[in-house]
Amino acid sequence: MSIQVEHLYKQFRVHVRQPGWKDAIRSLFKREYRTVEAVQDISFTIPSGEIVGFLGPNGAGKTTTIKMLAGLLYPTAGHVQVAGYVPFEQKPEFKKIISLVMGQKSQLIWDIPPMETFLVNKAIYEIEDRVFRQTLHELVELLELEPLLTKPTRSLSLGQRMKCELAAALLHRPQVLFLDEPTIGLDVHTQEKVRRFIGEYNREHRTTVLLTSHYMGDVTALCDRVLIINHGKLLYDGGLDRLTEKLTPYKLLEVRLASIPDISWEAYGELVEAKEGKVTLRVARERIPEVSSQFLQRFDVRDLNIEDPPMEEVITLAFQEGSHVS
Amino acid sequence: MFRKYVVLLRMKYVEMFAYRLATIVWMTGAMVQPLITMMVWMNIDPHQENAFIFYFAALIFVERMTSAWDVWEMEREIREGTYSYQIVRPFHPIHWAIAENIVYKALFFVILVPVWSILAIFVPALRLGQISGTQWLLFFCALLLGAVIRFLFSYMFGLLGFWITKVTAVYGMFEAVSLFLSGRIAPLSLLPPSVKTLSLYLPFRYMVGFPIEILNGDIRGLDIVFGFGWAVAWSLIFMLAVMLLWKAGLRKNQAVGG
Amino acid sequence: MGNLLSSLFGIGMAILTIKVFFYQTDHLGGWGYADVLLLLGIFNVLQGLIDFALRPNMSRLLQHIRTGTFDHILTKPVDSMFYVSFRHLVFWRLIDVLLGIGLMIYALIEKHYMPSVLDAAMFIVSIGAALVLIYALWMMLMTTSFWVIRIDDLSFVFNSFFETTRFPISMYRSWLRIVLTYVLPAAFITSTPALSLLGKWNGMTTIASIILAGLFLWLSRRFWRYALRSYTSA
Repeated sequence: MSIQVEHLYKQFRVHVRQPGWKDAIRSLFKREYRTVEAVQDISFTIPSGEIVGFLGPNGAGKTTTIKMLAGLLYPTAGHVQVAGYVPFEQKPEFKKIISLVMGQKSQLIWDIPPMETFLVNKAIYEIEDRVFRQTLHELVELLELEPLLTKPTRSLSLGQRMKCELAAALLHRPQVLFLDEPTIGLDVHTQEKVRRFIGEYNREHRTTVLLTSHYMGDVTALCDRVLIINHGKLLYDGGLDRLTEKLTPYKLLEVRLASIPDISWEAYGELVEAKEGKVTLRVARERIPEVSSQFLQRFDVRDLNIEDPPMEEVITLAFQEGSHVS
Repeated sequence: MFRKYVVLLRMKYVEMFAYRLATIVWMTGAMVQPLITMMVWMNIDPHQENAFIFYFAALIFVERMTSAWDVWEMEREIREGTYSYQIVRPFHPIHWAIAENIVYKALFFVILVPVWSILAIFVPALRLGQISGTQWLLFFCALLLGAVIRFLFSYMFGLLGFWITKVTAVYGMFEAVSLFLSGRIAPLSLLPPSVKTLSLYLPFRYMVGFPIEILNGDIRGLDIVFGFGWAVAWSLIFMLAVMLLWKAGLRKNQAVGG
Repeated sequence: MGNLLSSLFGIGMAILTIKVFFYQTDHLGGWGYADVLLLLGIFNVLQGLIDFALRPNMSRLLQHIRTGTFDHILTKPVDSMFYVSFRHLVFWRLIDVLLGIGLMIYALIEKHYMPSVLDAAMFIVSIGAALVLIYALWMMLMTTSFWVIRIDDLSFVFNSFFETTRFPISMYRSWLRIVLTYVLPAAFITSTPALSLLGKWNGMTTIASIILAGLFLWLSRRFWRYALRSYTSA
């Protein structure tokens, strides 16, 4: 069971709204359309059980791709197969093995406790009593849902709601889980909890997880593999380490000094920041040992730290590349 | 399928119960326009006072029993993006709408019937003694058909929400026109002849006016057959429309907010 | 553009409704066709003003209370009640006001009646009282949202009441007429101004409308203060 995508295209025809009133009247008779190429020739294969992250700026096409995989959108061209099914054929058997969670959009019924939504899902997905009880028990334990189940959904915090959301989505033990911005709007603590849960659940049940996110934390914590999409095109498909190496042949050297001397740092590397005793430099990877020892010899170093550049920087560079990173 | 409906109905009941205050307010508010209209007519023709009281009381009942608000629900879900969840589930979203309609209409029935019975003690115009068994049977059939037609009409517009963003505004216009053609501004017999004729062929009369006319004894025999014929025809037309629009909507689904 | 069409459609339907009634009669509660059209015109103007200034703020107030941002409003140096009621304005609703005025002019032409200066003065006084009354009633309704957070749209309640002002007060029977004059003063909102403009004004009635307007405004402020007190102590 896997996901296969070949030469996927999706175009939207968007009505162009004219600002002036003369144009507005004209548009009543003749509408002008603009074609938006949301997804252009994307291909990839995902074996079952993998957690894959889709990264890209807003409007990049990642949510569009996910929706085509879930059967919500019809591709303009190309082949999609998820666990042996063609998603847009909308077969009930297909729907029973997938699940969708969209951050900030709830499937839980608002004015009544989440438990009621669980019961409805149980009936809709035709889950047996015994299986249901087992699954519910497991999810309640893992997500610490006990006190939340009987309170109306509207009285739960966003974090609590997201946990119940995940439980509702996993009650029918789907083989494929689509997560669209699942940690958006959550506080750091809950984000970590959600990430830990998804990781654990994936390890336990070998559920294939497709995740779209803005947050590097999501991707670095969970995904071995990353697909970078921008302007509808697939820019990179592979591991994070390789990406970092390829795009950023440098590391960040952070040194804490007793006082910052007024000198030029060019000999050591590119200055990022020199403030309040902390100097941050971009140093080419090969030069790191050399530069570090120079610092330790020549300055009164209180603390020295070597880090990979932040993912944001890596990703931004990936987007700017505009072409395939091989 | 039956079991799924049972669970769905139970859930909708719990949801309705959480909303009970708002529901009562909405139900009572919906009575204001018919009551004011009734007072206007009683002013115009005081001799027909009793007839108007009966007509508008029946109107309130029938209107509530056939009312459909699905277009607003769907418009909101499509706009907020939560409609995707409905599509992804292995269960057609129309069942949710049907379950909700059943629960709320059962509530209206349970409230309005006793209220009518109590009022009938004080207001002789509301006494139902002269209505024959056949009339009751035909009335309830027409009522059921009216609820089906109005539901499908509303659902159809909900589906049009895949294409038109302000679909509730368009629906609102049809509802406004329906006020005239369904007998809510005036009993159809009091309308100008051209409007009266028009109402016979359009679906609106069958949503509200037709059941009342049967109960009133205003029409009989062949006219009733003609009425049922058109009511069934409109149900089938809207059913077909809903099925076609659903298929087309899925293809068209631009997923607003994607 | 769509707004213009929907306003036209709205007033068109309202006029058609009146026509349906007058298909079967010459008068409504003693008022002729043109008189009722004038009343409808005033109704439309008032409704337009409500949609322009009052209605947009209702849902926002509810939101503020629900999300707890209301405290921020309380810290402003402006009087909280007025601040809350006029913050957001929906300008295209003024189309309804214009259409209403247009209908009023048409009705007066139909009736071949030109209001005298005194008529106009009494009209201005009574429409002013009407506006104050509407504002007071609306505010009292808004104030209940401090307690009744469950109802999403309290404006529906106001609409139901406001519908009664669509028709001349003389149409309503005895006890209802009393209720609609003194308890929920629908009479002073549309009927009194319409009568003024038609030259049928009554000094006592006009004074009564002013007094009632003042009374209701005072009541609404008391209620608002009370609500604030219980809100801030919670």
